[in-house]
Amino acid sequence: MKLQHTLGGLEGLGPVWTETRVFVEEWEKVIFGIHTAMMALSPQLPLPETPSVFKTVWTWADLRKGAESMNPFDYFKYRYYEKWLGGISGYFVSNGYLTEAELEAKTAEYLADPDKPLPEGGAAEIDARVVQYLVEGDSPKRDVAAEPAFAVGDTVLVKNVPTVEHTRLPGFLRNKTGVVTEVYPGAYVYLTDTGADGIGDGIEKAMPVYCVAFDPAELWPGNAEANFTLYADLYAAYLAEPVSAAAAA
Amino acid sequence: MTAQFFYDADREKKNAARAKALQALLIEKGVITSKTVDTVLGYFETKMGPFNGAKAVARAWVDPAYKERLVADTAAALAELEFPEGMAGAEGEHMKAVANGDGVHNLIICTLCSCYPWPVLGLPPYWYKDPTFRSRAAREPRAVLKEFGLEVPSETEIKVWDSSAQIRWFVVPERPAGTDGLSEEQLAALVTPESMMGVAVAKAA
Repeated sequence: MKLQHTLGGLEGLGPVWTETRVFVEEWEKVIFGIHTAMMALSPQLPLPETPSVFKTVWTWADLRKGAESMNPFDYFKYRYYEKWLGGISGYFVSNGYLTEAELEAKTAEYLADPDKPLPEGGAAEIDARVVQYLVEGDSPKRDVAAEPAFAVGDTVLVKNVPTVEHTRLPGFLRNKTGVVTEVYPGAYVYLTDTGADGIGDGIEKAMPVYCVAFDPAELWPGNAEANFTLYADLYAAYLAEPVSAAAAA
Repeated sequence: MTAQFFYDADREKKNAARAKALQALLIEKGVITSKTVDTVLGYFETKMGPFNGAKAVARAWVDPAYKERLVADTAAALAELEFPEGMAGAEGEHMKAVANGDGVHNLIICTLCSCYPWPVLGLPPYWYKDPTFRSRAAREPRAVLKEFGLEVPSETEIKVWDSSAQIRWFVVPERPAGTDGLSEEQLAALVTPESMMGVAVAKAA
């Protein structure tokens, strides 16, 4: 189990950071812009072809995988967009768009002269596609019949699926029971196949998603605040029928 | 362990140079253009941002029927207002509003990453992305909210929404007292991103 998958409920962390800015350093805007462009230019989206040489898939799942694969100490050590900068530059190098040596050399140039202008140019179609992505989005809902196994009010057990490199199952919910409060209409895929974890991008992986209410006193017995409820949206692959007391006996 | 907890003295200078170097190489190689980053940032300054959410909340404050529709069918209710195109766009394909009131306070979190309703709120502030916030809010929301300066009475139920699948949640805060006679535009100015995520409440100016 990765720490990043089960952050909920950790103790001993000290005060929260109440910083309300979105970016605390100017350079963070750059890496955010690059990430958003990569998502928009990613070839699996049904958007117009552009002259961009970007031909490999990049989704939120890829960014999240990078953060989830970090040493957990580093995960807490680096600020949000520092993790993005590391993950995204690593992706461009490992996919052959540029070399680490090129990046080092160019970094040295900008270290020596931070105000050196950026190169000019690029096809307008590229930016048009980026805007089109922001306007249209990328819904995971698929037009297939959903067959929800559970209904509102049902008690469900969160499965302890094998741990993998990337998941959408908050780890602190594993083996816990909750109550379905909403069955979202339709069926949903995820951005990428998570293997034994159970969700994926193929149409055959389109599945119901449920909103499930959990009692914090059951999640953290004797150690949770009173009078609150935790709700999580969970893919059907993560849920099972609770084992009844009789069957377990 | 020394290296583990060592920060370079030139940390931000190096980050800035590396980010600019990456941008420059991606322009040179034809991945993005010299205008791409500014195009994205400009979009979040003008089309997707907390100014949209504030407008919807202000409408909900002056029109209780609209508030009901906003909670019952968020996408349809947002479509009633005059927003820029893209209100069901990136990170807003499936949004849901939850309303404070009647002894309930809502708090939105994302324990796995930083899922956030872009069209109505723009980009997440640092507090939302902070791993400490994401960890603690799941188990001790009152203690966390107190650190934000918000005391939630013990008799008020807190609903914590963990954005772990397709839904991007946001909160409709309660209309503050002493705001009778304000226009919708004046009311919208009282609605902060923090109040639409539940770490603050809206206050009269």
